[in-house]
Amino acid sequence: MSTDFVLTVCPYCGCGCQVYVQVMDGRATGVVPCRTDEISEGRPCIKGRNAVDFVDHPDRLKSPLLKRDGKFQPISWDEALGIVAERLGKTKRKHGPDSIGVLASAKCTNEENFLLMKFARAVIGTNNVDHCARLCHASTVVGLAKAFGSGAMTNSVPEVEGSDCILIIGSNTIEQHPLIGSRVLRAKEKGARLVVADPRRTPIAEFADVYLQHRPGTDVCLLNGIMNLILSWDLADRDFIAERTEGFDELEKKVKEYPPEKVCEIAGIDQAALEEAARLYGQAERGSILYGMGITQHTTGVENVLCIADLAMLTGNIGRESTGVNPLRGQNNVQGACDMGALPNVYSGYQLVTDGTARAKFEEAWGVELPQQPGLMATEMTDAAIDGSLKAMYIVGENPALSDADINHLKKALRSLDFLVVQDIFLSEAAQLAHVVLPACSFAEKEGTFTATDRRVQRVRKAIEPIGESKPDWIILSELAARIGGAGFDYPSPREIMQEISALTPSYAGVTYERLDEGAILPWPCTSEEHNGTRFLHKDSFTRGKGRFFPIDYREPAELPDRKYPFVLTTGRLMFQYHTGTMTRRTPALERELPTGFVEINPEDAKRLSISQGQWVTVESRRGKIRIQALVTERMLPGVVFIPFHFAECPANELTSRHLDPEAKIPEFKVCAVKINKG
Amino acid sequence: MEDQSGNGTIGAVLVVGGGVGGIQAALDLAESGYYVYLVEKSPSIGGIMAQLDKTFPTNDCSMCILSPKLVETGRHLNIQLITNAELQEVSGEAGKFKVKVLQRPRHVDIDKCTGCGSCAESVFDNLKERDGQIWVDRIVVDEAKCTQCGDCTLACLAENEEAHAMTNVVFERRKLPELPVEQREGIEPETLAQRLALMDDESRKDFWQAELSKCIKCFGCRDACPVWIYDGAELEDAEWIKPGEIPPAVPLFQIIRAYRIADLCVNCGMCEDACPMDIPLRAIHQLMWRQSPESVFEVVPGLDSETKNRLVQRLKEEPAVNTEIAR
Repeated sequence: MSTDFVLTVCPYCGCGCQVYVQVMDGRATGVVPCRTDEISEGRPCIKGRNAVDFVDHPDRLKSPLLKRDGKFQPISWDEALGIVAERLGKTKRKHGPDSIGVLASAKCTNEENFLLMKFARAVIGTNNVDHCARLCHASTVVGLAKAFGSGAMTNSVPEVEGSDCILIIGSNTIEQHPLIGSRVLRAKEKGARLVVADPRRTPIAEFADVYLQHRPGTDVCLLNGIMNLILSWDLADRDFIAERTEGFDELEKKVKEYPPEKVCEIAGIDQAALEEAARLYGQAERGSILYGMGITQHTTGVENVLCIADLAMLTGNIGRESTGVNPLRGQNNVQGACDMGALPNVYSGYQLVTDGTARAKFEEAWGVELPQQPGLMATEMTDAAIDGSLKAMYIVGENPALSDADINHLKKALRSLDFLVVQDIFLSEAAQLAHVVLPACSFAEKEGTFTATDRRVQRVRKAIEPIGESKPDWIILSELAARIGGAGFDYPSPREIMQEISALTPSYAGVTYERLDEGAILPWPCTSEEHNGTRFLHKDSFTRGKGRFFPIDYREPAELPDRKYPFVLTTGRLMFQYHTGTMTRRTPALERELPTGFVEINPEDAKRLSISQGQWVTVESRRGKIRIQALVTERMLPGVVFIPFHFAECPANELTSRHLDPEAKIPEFKVCAVKINKG
Repeated sequence: MEDQSGNGTIGAVLVVGGGVGGIQAALDLAESGYYVYLVEKSPSIGGIMAQLDKTFPTNDCSMCILSPKLVETGRHLNIQLITNAELQEVSGEAGKFKVKVLQRPRHVDIDKCTGCGSCAESVFDNLKERDGQIWVDRIVVDEAKCTQCGDCTLACLAENEEAHAMTNVVFERRKLPELPVEQREGIEPETLAQRLALMDDESRKDFWQAELSKCIKCFGCRDACPVWIYDGAELEDAEWIKPGEIPPAVPLFQIIRAYRIADLCVNCGMCEDACPMDIPLRAIHQLMWRQSPESVFEVVPGLDSETKNRLVQRLKEEPAVNTEIAR
């Protein structure tokens, strides 16, 4: 019998807890907490504790599959790669490189995302590469880049503990980022004040000093109202504004249009609570803002983010320890996938594809000519597939067939493709629509790095051999690139890929496996081998020079309830499941807790419709309808219902709307109109 | 001890931890001629092994192995025991270390203590003869359990008016709030368990309500527990604890867990260490040591009487200790 403990990073949320994978005779048998890990301190949450249960699940894909006459048949790697190379090559020759779209994965390592981005740009020759950040924090990447010059969490996770006022808006912190939630409670124990704003009364709201239950989609209005009060009480940090920012006058003019009476009317909140919230955050010495998808998944996503940035700059709560604007990223490596340039408009390290110097650098390194125009975003690929301009897609480790808005539309798009390859560890809903499925490896079977939500780069280590015939994504990509004729993909290991990343990406320049293996904690920017990483951003100046205020007007959500569809539907996640459930639904301990979905509805509404606890109801929107059980709860406001999007048998995203944010192209997952009927 | 070897090194060794590993190390070193300082955090050496019945995998009697070593360690001329103490700082280099050790108060002056046992009798109503034996010459006030009632001090005074052994710290802490600030210096603040023991039911209920509401049901406390020998069905019973709910039924979830291990708990603190939300779980167990498991509902109040009765009945049907496995 052989045993081993391999230090790696939990594959679930963006907290980035390091854990040991327990290996017994070549099988991953369990997870052992790592006490010296700075984030978890040896106390991971339930998902972390059960992180390897899905790894050798019988459903794992063990060989490449080819769809013949509507049925999947196992084929050899040689055959599979041959078909994929031939079909992608043919599509490229016949319809041009921009007829191919690539979706990268926030579940894959930095190295794999970099390689996929290189594959799309250098081998296929298109900028049509994107990933699921489009569906979660695209607004943050765009918004914070506009205001500060860098679209990431400004401060590190342990710093949350030192704040003296924490404003949480649109984040279910305790359920979705338990280890950050734990730090919020610790800060509170030390005397910090907590302000929570969320249309759904999530567990963190129970600990709030002030809880604001505003109507979904009124975040801009609410934040403008807080700024209005802060300005009228003269709590703004005038020195900071004068020295470090620009565009303040326009903001001041704009927020004057949002007196508290008007704000409370629109957002449906109590004026005393709003005033208390403004006072607490305005007076804070070290105020920190945490936000999640409640801010970003709106047609006003970028505007919401800009409003948050305005609020932080207005009070000078940025560029210091324990302050900042902290978007909590939902996936283990969604930060890394963005950093690696798996986005249609940037290379790794957010170097613009339209910038000639950056492009020349990459062209020289890769020895090919690169496309100059930004490519299609994930949400635009759907429409392009339906109108026929996108012919083939290569999807790695994503399940848009459950996670994208209006999945009926998305499935139609995937079906209308000439050729669809899905590379995943399980036969997900998206993989079922594919022509060829390639079996990839889980986090426990490969080497690499993940970048956690607070920009810290951490090592993922191989604990066990690949299951069945599956291969790590970077090997599949290297082999595929070689077949299509791409040069420079012959990496002996991910270490060499990281060397290439460091050479081409200024913010990752000092990140090496040697340093990471020595235990160095390296949050980017880490600009040289001597640089120790940056715990908090924008210390003496903003990345873009001066912080930029943006005056924002309140706009209503795209689809409001009316007589036919009287309820507002908002979607989200739950503690015990994770995204489309490909991993958590195959983990017994988690599936036991929450085996299926439900629609949360306020008791008043339930009484009016005479719906009882646990009763089956039909929820219908303009795009589809689902049958689901009712959960009557005070958590929801009257007129607002909530459905988690994890469950394939009652998919909330059959109902959600395709209205996009004009800039970030993120769908409005948080607001759409539905009606509810019994039965 | 200094400079015996002539090269500046010292012939003394410090062993940290008085469990069986530390004891054996100390004995081996002492036998090879080193002078050993054995530092132990708890008031006595022996560690976890002294609390075990059998050892894995040979099923040898644990105390039969350990007790001769305990005696030898206690009597060895080359070993100096420093118990109730913790290592705070280490400086210097190999061969010549300088360490700083914090020794916590025993609250009993050993030179004056006659081992009469009156102090212990004053606290426990039904003190058996054997219990008195244990207290003799090992007497120490456990800060985690002391409620600063002062009874032991009074008993000691009654027994030996001239030179009572209970140091006045115990007595004074009871009066801490009344003391002027300058006199409080040097008197340690109360521990959480002490604070809880002195709370009234209502504030204790509020305290636990607030703490247990933090629970995110990660099962870390259960998974990390070395004496949890059940299959887990207890905490996964939908009748008591609804699946998928956060926080899980307060305080039922923690009461069932604590009750199940009430007799087995060695207070190792792993449950608290494993808790991502910093719930002071150890305090529940410390309180349960002072009170019978049946009174657990008074320790952590907040249940309605119907649930309480049903739960008590249910738990009584299944013995708290699974005898089959324990055997």
